[in-house]
Amino acid sequence: MITVSQLLKTVPTADGDLDILRGIDLDIEAGASAAIVGASGSGKSTLLGLLAGMDVATSGEIWLDGERLSELDENQRARLRADKVGFVFQSFQLLPALTARENVMLPLELAGAANAGQIAERYLGDVGLESRFEHYPTTLSGGEQQRVAIARAFACQPRILFADEPTGNLDTRTGERVIDLLFELNNRADTTLVLVTHDERLAQRCDKRFSMTAGELHAL
Amino acid sequence: MTVTIASKVESRNGSLSWRLLAREWRSGELGILLAALVLAVSVVVGVSSFVDRLQSALLSESARFLAADMVVVSRTPIPSEWIDQAEQMTLQTSLGVGFPSMAVADADNMALVSVKAVSTGYPLRGELLWSAEAYGEIVRDGAIPEQGEVWLAPRLFALLGLTVGDALMVGEATLQVGGAVRGEPDATTAVFGFGPRLLMNTLDIPATGVIQPGSRVGYRLLISGDRERVSDFEAWVSPLLGQGQRLDSVEGSQPRIGDTLDRARGFLLLAGSLAVVLAAAAITLASRRFGERHTQYVAILKSLGAQSHDISRLYGTSLGLISLAGTAAGCLLGWVLQEVFIRLLGSLLPVTPGTAGVEPVLIGAVTAMVCILFFAWPPLRRLGEASPLRVLRADIGIHDAQRPLDYVLGGLAIVALMWWYSGSVAVTLAVVAGLAVVMGLGFLAARGLLSGGRRVGGFAGSIWRVALAGLQRRGRANALQMVIFAMAIMLMLLLSVVRSSLIGQWQAQLPDDAPNHFLLNLAPEERPVLEQFFTQQGVATEALYPMTRGRIFSVNAETLPEWEEVEGEDLPRQREANFTWSDELPTGNLLVSGDWWGPDDTTSWVSLEEDFAAGIGAGVGDRLSMRIGSETFDAEVRSIRKVDWQSMRPNFFVVFPRAVLERYPGMYMTSFQLLPSQKPLLNDLVRKLPTVTVIELDIVIKEMRSVVDQVARALELVLGVILVAGALVLISGVRSSLDARLKESALMRALGARQSLVLGTLWIEFLVLGGLAGALASVGAEVAAWGLQTRVFDMNWVPTVTMWWLGPVLGAVIVGALGVWSCRRVVRVPPVQLLREV
Repeated sequence: MITVSQLLKTVPTADGDLDILRGIDLDIEAGASAAIVGASGSGKSTLLGLLAGMDVATSGEIWLDGERLSELDENQRARLRADKVGFVFQSFQLLPALTARENVMLPLELAGAANAGQIAERYLGDVGLESRFEHYPTTLSGGEQQRVAIARAFACQPRILFADEPTGNLDTRTGERVIDLLFELNNRADTTLVLVTHDERLAQRCDKRFSMTAGELHAL
Repeated sequence: MTVTIASKVESRNGSLSWRLLAREWRSGELGILLAALVLAVSVVVGVSSFVDRLQSALLSESARFLAADMVVVSRTPIPSEWIDQAEQMTLQTSLGVGFPSMAVADADNMALVSVKAVSTGYPLRGELLWSAEAYGEIVRDGAIPEQGEVWLAPRLFALLGLTVGDALMVGEATLQVGGAVRGEPDATTAVFGFGPRLLMNTLDIPATGVIQPGSRVGYRLLISGDRERVSDFEAWVSPLLGQGQRLDSVEGSQPRIGDTLDRARGFLLLAGSLAVVLAAAAITLASRRFGERHTQYVAILKSLGAQSHDISRLYGTSLGLISLAGTAAGCLLGWVLQEVFIRLLGSLLPVTPGTAGVEPVLIGAVTAMVCILFFAWPPLRRLGEASPLRVLRADIGIHDAQRPLDYVLGGLAIVALMWWYSGSVAVTLAVVAGLAVVMGLGFLAARGLLSGGRRVGGFAGSIWRVALAGLQRRGRANALQMVIFAMAIMLMLLLSVVRSSLIGQWQAQLPDDAPNHFLLNLAPEERPVLEQFFTQQGVATEALYPMTRGRIFSVNAETLPEWEEVEGEDLPRQREANFTWSDELPTGNLLVSGDWWGPDDTTSWVSLEEDFAAGIGAGVGDRLSMRIGSETFDAEVRSIRKVDWQSMRPNFFVVFPRAVLERYPGMYMTSFQLLPSQKPLLNDLVRKLPTVTVIELDIVIKEMRSVVDQVARALELVLGVILVAGALVLISGVRSSLDARLKESALMRALGARQSLVLGTLWIEFLVLGGLAGALASVGAEVAAWGLQTRVFDMNWVPTVTMWWLGPVLGAVIVGALGVWSCRRVVRVPPVQLLREV
């Protein structure tokens, strides 16, 4: 499902080029879950951004569900995300001007779903937010916001789900509930899950675990 | 749960854009942009409609100085087909005839009078004032003397020993005195007529028998009506004008009024142009803020799969709709604004405002389009370039929301708009020069002072350190904000300065003690009588100038052609003028070249007025030959003078040293001021000196003052509108940086900063920004004022010292107060709530 070969990411700095990712190789099968752990600044988020086609590698290749990202332009990569990728972010990234329901509807609408409202309500129900459809993000707790984000991520039935520190902004108990939910939906939909985390317990629940250190990835 | 999701890109985009737009609208963000656009369009439409209406009102108001919209002046009778043509064009007409004549009451009482015969309809503009007795109560009933009746200037009653009802002979006709003429709207057009006025009906002219071949008669065909039809008639009649015939319009016939109106129009158009610049500034600020606030929104949309063209379509559609709605609402609001304005201030406006054309609306719509295309669209278009990576890393921004090219293109578009609007390259260039100085210095100052401020702040207390660090951190945004503040303040200062100097100059031209009467034809031996009379009555006079009629016929021994020989050509020709002598440069004259002669110089010098010198083709050092009576003599041009024709003093084209002209016979002239209560003194004066001619300009001056007052009031109203628009731009400017400041202040409070520290920091930041902007504004306003005063308003430029300290102080106080007021929530709302919101 996800194959990465010799991925290199270099950024120019005042002191010369800085290698953020140094020859990453990675293989994750369809339906599997993988955790990438590592210290801050080790390059985890950069790798996630590249995997999701939100950034372009300096060299190397990424295949996402059979599509070679380096052959796609920005719009084609966006379309790929709309069709096949879901996201859960550390800081939820809900649009403050939209209600919970509209936030979930958004990717469905972008993908051209006809009955986006119904689907959004169903997924919000699945994450236990039946009574919060018309609530705006600022009126929801952190846990609730992350649950809306999870509903939004799964609503499009993505083939791949990327999660960036999904519990990073939540307390332990809420984080655990959110993780349970994430894995439950993941299992139900048979989605390939890639998550970046600091949380060792969360990493333990994944099929595969990788450690990122100074731009290099090692299987654990 | 099975959902089929297909990427039907083409079909989905349209409806999605609408849905997203609807949600955007609900969020209120688009409302801010819409509000800025409505503000911009309504200010432009409001100011330009108001200006348009005032202009047409002022023009028709000033038409009363002609008693018509246009006058055909002729030395021969007006052809009847001209009158027919005017009437066919549905114009109103009225005929006037003027000539000097003797009015005879009896064998002992006769006087040279200036007869004016008028026909029904006179005056077509303005009012004819009369009274039933010499100095009786003024009547304004639109009447003119009936056939067989004359109205006399009040002092003729005493001079001729007449009362109302008495008979008077004009030529061969015996007419009855029916009243006193107290005010003619077009009195100024005949100031150099002879003797006091006698007004009669044109129907009586044949009976007088005074008009004979060779008589000195002036015919006037008054025309009024629809502006376009008047222009059509002008176009029709112009080619038919022969020798001794011309067309008079308000500007042409009454230079002083024309000049006042020209300057007022220049000012009003300037104000409108400034409204355009302010509009662009408001839109720029609003769209930048919109763009900044939407970067994250777009990043999320893109991370969820939105493509660049989805984003472009979303914001393109949004902006398109906002443009339509904003332009329509702005035009409507602008119209309502000027209507409310005129209604509210109607009682203050002595003139009835005319109607506004469609041009203001057109200008408003085009302004909106330019602002949208060049200032609002670039930041929104670039939103499509926002990286979806921002959802993972908040520190990734988009490249400059507006690039230098946008500003250059936008700036050019605004300059073109200003040019279109003001119709004056000079107005446009002056304002652009001021703005360019503000921008150039602004960015330099922003860089230098803000980074220097950090160093200074390092040694200062904590409030200053935090504040100056904040200024530097947002250096780029602050520079833009400061320049926009400076532009708004500059435009406000500029308009205030120009208004004050215009009004000041008008008032200086017509001071309360300005002479309002001219006295001509005073024989040298009568001088002591006049001087004694004035001393006894306490009347102040200007110097007495000797006056001799003469003709300049050659320059450097080359005889100039006669007027008739070169008629219609712009060539040097012989000129006749009133010569005078003076050992000192006459008051109010300015030497353009050469120098003035000494007090006892006996050399045959002459000094010429500059236009007169050009008319005969002479310069300093040229030798002129001239004739007075039958004597000829030569003189060398010693100097060329600029004469202030606007002053109410005796002014001369040709001046000689005393020793050169004294030996020729001549009469004297002077000017003096009489208060209304002193008017009857004129009767005593003409009794003592029956041969002198007195020209009464008091009514003219009063009329001029009233026009100047109206115009001044109009300028103040427009200044008020622009000040409000400027204040709104300042508010938008403050709001544009609100989010970043609120977030930082909330963080500071969350970290335990006292309210006083947070507020103090905000005060310092905004005071410094406002003070710097005010200082820049003073420089820019001074540059623009110099350009406008010297190139547009033909005035002398004097640095406005007040502005140099007022600009920075006002800037600091207004921006400081607005800034802190806008951020007041930061100390009122719990920081956690603020951090959530921003």
